Amino acid sequence: MLADFINPYHLQIASFILINILLAISVYVPLSSGQLSLGSAGFMGVGAYTSALLTIHFDLPIFVGILIGASVAGCLGIIIGIPSLRLSGVYLAIATLGLGEVIRVIFVNWESLTKGSIGLTGIPQMGRELLNLARDFGIQPAMFGLRNNQFVYLMVFVILFILVTATIWFVFRQQNSRVGRSFSSIQMDEKAAESMGINITYFKVLSFSQGAFLAGLAGALFAHVMGYISPSDFSYHRAVEILIFTVFGGSEVIIGSIFGAIFLTLIPEVLRFVSEYRYIIYGIMLVILMAVRPQGILDIQLLSKFKRLKRSKGGVR
Amino acid sequence: MVLEIRNVSKNFGGIHALKDVSFQIQEGEIYGLIGPNGAGKTTMFNLITNIFEPTSGQIVFNDSNITGLKSYKITEQGICRTYQNIRLFSQMSALKNVMVGGHCRSTSGVFSSVFRTKKQKREEKALTEKAEELLDLVGLLEHKDALAENLAYGQQRRLEIARAMASNPKLLLLDEPAAGMNEKETDSLYDLIKLIQSKGITVLIIEHDMPLVMKLCDRITVLNFGEKLAEGTPYEIQNNEAVIEAYLGREEDVDIA
Amino acid sequence: MLLEQFINGITLGSIYAIVALGFTLVFGVLGIINMAHGEIFMVGAFVGVMTTGVLGWPLWLAFVASIVVTAILGYLLETFTLRPLRGKRGVSHLAPLISTIGVSILLENLSHHLFGAGNKPFRTEFAEMSIEIGSITIYIVQIVIFVISIILMIGLSIWLSKTKAGKALRATAENLETASILGVDTKKIITLTVIIASAMGGIAGILVGMAFNSVSPQMGLAIGLKGLAIIILGGMGNVKGAMVGGLILGLSETFLVAYGDSGYRDAIAFIMIIVILLLRPQGIFGSKIVEGR
Repeated sequence: MLADFINPYHLQIASFILINILLAISVYVPLSSGQLSLGSAGFMGVGAYTSALLTIHFDLPIFVGILIGASVAGCLGIIIGIPSLRLSGVYLAIATLGLGEVIRVIFVNWESLTKGSIGLTGIPQMGRELLNLARDFGIQPAMFGLRNNQFVYLMVFVILFILVTATIWFVFRQQNSRVGRSFSSIQMDEKAAESMGINITYFKVLSFSQGAFLAGLAGALFAHVMGYISPSDFSYHRAVEILIFTVFGGSEVIIGSIFGAIFLTLIPEVLRFVSEYRYIIYGIMLVILMAVRPQGILDIQLLSKFKRLKRSKGGVR
Repeated sequence: MVLEIRNVSKNFGGIHALKDVSFQIQEGEIYGLIGPNGAGKTTMFNLITNIFEPTSGQIVFNDSNITGLKSYKITEQGICRTYQNIRLFSQMSALKNVMVGGHCRSTSGVFSSVFRTKKQKREEKALTEKAEELLDLVGLLEHKDALAENLAYGQQRRLEIARAMASNPKLLLLDEPAAGMNEKETDSLYDLIKLIQSKGITVLIIEHDMPLVMKLCDRITVLNFGEKLAEGTPYEIQNNEAVIEAYLGREEDVDIA
Repeated sequence: MLLEQFINGITLGSIYAIVALGFTLVFGVLGIINMAHGEIFMVGAFVGVMTTGVLGWPLWLAFVASIVVTAILGYLLETFTLRPLRGKRGVSHLAPLISTIGVSILLENLSHHLFGAGNKPFRTEFAEMSIEIGSITIYIVQIVIFVISIILMIGLSIWLSKTKAGKALRATAENLETASILGVDTKKIITLTVIIASAMGGIAGILVGMAFNSVSPQMGLAIGLKGLAIIILGGMGNVKGAMVGGLILGLSETFLVAYGDSGYRDAIAFIMIIVILLLRPQGIFGSKIVEGR
């Protein structure tokens, strides 16, 4: 019964969307305090390689590996953030762009560890491990009328869904608090924020390293979903793509990042020709967006319009 | 003594913006800082809040030397300001603007914010109540959900005062609060500043509206070309030869601050 | 051997300096990092490959073609991506950065589609010619590159300090508002700046093509990043800093390749960025930090 509805291909796309949402949020959080990071692909790579290498060579459980991978990326964010954030935003953008490139160079050249540009294969896959775990508890996919691969993709999707929901919840709550207010006041007027008693360096590094952590988390998850990674997965193109999720969807509201990630992951799947010219379209899109609608498709005004619309409909009833 | 300016000078690339200026502000008074445009008044504010560091001299607040302290630490110590060219968080609601002002009097971090601990909830509630109270004080309570950028000019000026008040300052710096206000608004501003004084807050004000300054201030320092020209009560200042000369004797020049 | 490496380093460094000059001119006048500069440079290199390789034009004509194409690109960049954002209310300082990133990936992928992903050789009639002085071999190409770079740098310096347009440009860089009050047509100066910077990128593109005998769509990012590292090293918006910074990077890369691990050559630029940010954020020649840009 259930088996008829579960299409592994669709579930896999859904999983990629979820990972992309995490990545989009990893750009959104620093942007909410006015920081542009071009290193998200690099942080993603650090998370992915750290977790992959730890699980391959030291047989660590996947979830420990993912946590360490994300944390290492987060720490790297602090190390890069402190010197660049003392200066203006331009320096941070350059430093993160450079970081992304240097991380890629290390992945390519440190062949004894990273297998160079071929990349790592045989990374423990989250789905398989979950299947084995379930079997240890005496649960068989067949009990739900599922084939093994259906069960695997479903479990991956569920885990990712829980993680992404938790992340959105975290960011949302943080936003509507003293910390979130500090972020947005820094974004709107750094000098005024500081003269209101806000330690801007602390909050900028905080939001930046949260972004790095999330990108690392997404990278580690990516590694354990795919089972293989290579330096080209974490190139500058990737960083620009992630940036576009957020900038296109709307960088003022978290729902914008989510929308951007979903929409821009689905479009190339649905329209094949878009996939081929993807980056050309992305490039034109960025230029037009900045000139016409720099805040992205979804913004506060549009959302409150939606809300009013809903409310008035409710009123009629 | 709340604030003591000791022989403060500031050079910008060879130009003296301020030269050896000293004055002292007593607790609870409203102190005026006046002078022609370009006299260095806003520069003095920027030095007190350490947007720039003075080239020489000292700034002492409540008997502790705050020269060179980071801006946000100075706010924590109890000095908060408004800006000549209003600097509100334009895309935030009026209420949130004021709540940001209360930042340094609250402590919630990431963990307590995300998990909404009891202490955090209490703190947020207190912060909201305090902000509403302050909005009421400046007559903006009914506009609390409006975005700052959508408020009228005079309202924005008053919102900035409310935001600064939220940091519980002992000393409030107001940079031309009456600029662009009509007579009626200026009158209510007078009442507001007097009310702030009655709450035990010391006020240092830069203002061009002379009738307001003379009515409001207990004592005044006059700056001219970065130097202190005179100091005294409004009556003394109005009858000071040098001040009359400076104000009547020449055209106003371009504001460098 | 040492001297030979030194010459290699100087050659490379003088090209880097020219790339960095393009960044620094735009930053000096507009306060913007032009993320598309590396790709404009790459287009310049491809124009060189196409005109000399496919059409069989002489080298000097290739330079002219490259200058023309990149100057037009610069004009388009200014008109369609930078000008619409200028002076608009509520546009964050990140908008031009993002917008030029858009141009950069557009150009890179366009060339990818047009020319393919691989490396294209850049042949010049004197590619193999060299002179021997004692035990040292110097290629004619190196001399050509070095001479062109020096002429370009001296020319730019003289133009900036002696001509009316150059002085207007410096005044605009100093303070846009004041310059326009003083009667400088700032709109024209800004357009001119972006065009000159882009054309210098085009020249640098051909020089790099000649130096490495290879051109690819991806080279824009790699060289662009080095240009950015150099202007952080030399001080943002500082012309002299860009020249010296270029030489420092060129020399250190050459010596790393000669005596160390060549794979990490591209990492030097980044390490330089971080060290400079930690130790002397205003750069070697910078006098103060420009904040709030």
